[in-house]
Parts: sequence; structure tokens; C-alpha cells
Amino acid sequence: MIDHSLAVSPLGAILFHLKQGFWLYAWPMIIGFLTILGYQVLGRVGMMGAVKWPVVFGLGTVVSMVSLAGWVMMARGMHMIPFYGCGVGLASAMMSRIYAVTMPIHPRLKVRLVRVIWRGDSEGIEKLQKALRSKV
Amino acid sequence: MAFLAGSLALCAQGPVPRPAPELKIVEASGKTAMLSSFHGRVVLLAFISTQCPHCQRVSAVFEQFSKEFSARLQVAEVAFDEGADSAAFVKRFGLSFPVGNSSSDVAHDFLGIGRGMRLGTPQVVVIDRSGMIRAQSQRLGSPILQTYDCLRDLLKAIFKLEAPR
Repeated sequence: MIDHSLAVSPLGAILFHLKQGFWLYAWPMIIGFLTILGYQVLGRVGMMGAVKWPVVFGLGTVVSMVSLAGWVMMARGMHMIPFYGCGVGLASAMMSRIYAVTMPIHPRLKVRLVRVIWRGDSEGIEKLQKALRSKV
Repeated sequence: MAFLAGSLALCAQGPVPRPAPELKIVEASGKTAMLSSFHGRVVLLAFISTQCPHCQRVSAVFEQFSKEFSARLQVAEVAFDEGADSAAFVKRFGLSFPVGNSSSDVAHDFLGIGRGMRLGTPQVVVIDRSGMIRAQSQRLGSPILQTYDCLRDLLKAIFKLEAPR
């Protein structure tokens, strides 16, 4: 309760509400999103079978640490449940739309870059299938 | 109806602004200060629990203010948790302002909240030079009154209001 007759600068209050809004509403959503993204990537990399076990071990360690660190930093309370759920839902929905992730070599830079092929990208899917068939 | 009115009265909190009641701040060393002796200076007061992490954080903010506005501001804290060791609290957080002890009833009476009602700590109170309470935490605590930026803006508004003409 602050005396309304005081001419208090609103800057401090605006900053406070922005920070509070981020930690109470955006942060749970980010953590939910990153947790699902991390574990799904980990699952897919692990299932590939072509990646060496120390890489899978390292990735698993990092993903679980990031997820737990996010939880610890989260203002835990009933209000954050829907926001965490939204983050999880968003990441799950996004991952369900991914057909494949490839790492083609960039023609000019000569380095491997991550390329996501979405389920709606019929041209990309066809190209990938052709490339796979030619390998077999 | 009488029960409802009684319940509402019990939940009520002293209005702002209102004259600050008298308060005796008894430090662990035995040194005593009366709130009225700070008359003429803006007072930043908090009722704290020495075990509460928010109170520990706000004490650091208060210490910063006591140095920044040393000429115009008097900072004080009153620990009202059972078995509070205010001397150890002062030593641990390196506080230069008085930290006293009181009972929970004294804190409730000062804040204008019914005795026995649950209080969120810290309970921050800002008193102007004329002894009027200009800001006070909500009964269950007000995080906005625990941050450096918001308190600084509030204190500046009070200093400006009372600038000598």
C-alpha cells in the first residue's frame, strides 16, 4: 500500500513487473519447452545408433542438468503449472512436425550445418528419400 | 452479519497514510531507540524474521540505502520471530543500522493488523519526516517494496515532497 498522493516514478514499478512477469510466466514456459526439446533430441540421437556413446552420455548429462537448473530457478507454485504445460505442449507439437534433421555440408563454408526438414516440406522429404535410396 | 463484520475487521490493515504509532527498538546490546526520536528524518523500517531469505535480501538493500541516503534517512529493522538472534543477524549481514527485537503482538499492533493474523515477511514501512506512514507492505507481503529500484523511487518521492521551501 503506497500513499497515492505521492508522485512516485513508475519506472521502478514497471521494471519490477516486467522481471516478475518473466520469472512467473515466461520462465516456466521456456523450461517446459527446453526440457521436451532436449529429451527428444537426446532420444533421437541415442536411437540413431551411429553416434558414439560418450556423445550420448554428454548430451544426456547436459540436458538433464539444464532441465533441473531451470526447475530450481523456477518460482514454484500452482500458477506456473499451465505455463509449464504450454511450453511442453509447444515443444511436443513442434517436434511432431519435424520429419528429419540432416547435417549437410555447406557448399561455400565447408562446415556441417543443421537442417530441419518439416513434414510439410514435400520437396525436402523427396530429396532426402532419394539421397537415402542412392546410398542403399 | 456480526460475524462477517468481525472477520472483515480482523483481516483489515491500517490505512495509508496514517500517523506512525510509537515503537521501542531494543537492540541485542540493550541499546534502546524510540521511533519518535527519528522525527525529522524519513524512516525506512522493516519487521523481519531472521530466518526468512527475503528479509535477509531486503536487509542488504536497506544497508545500501542507509549508506546512500545517510543524511536524510534512518533505517531500522525489528525481528519478531521467536528466538531471533538479532546480534548474530547484524554480524552475519554486516548491518550498520539498528536491528531490534520485539514480540509478534507489537508488530501486529504497529502495522494495524489483528493479533494472531498470519504476516508475510518482511513487512516494510516507510515513514515521512512528519511521522506519517506513507507506504506499508500488504499483510502477506509486498515484493514490490523489497526491491532496490522501487524503494529508491518511493524514497525520492518522499524526499521531494518534503523538500524545504
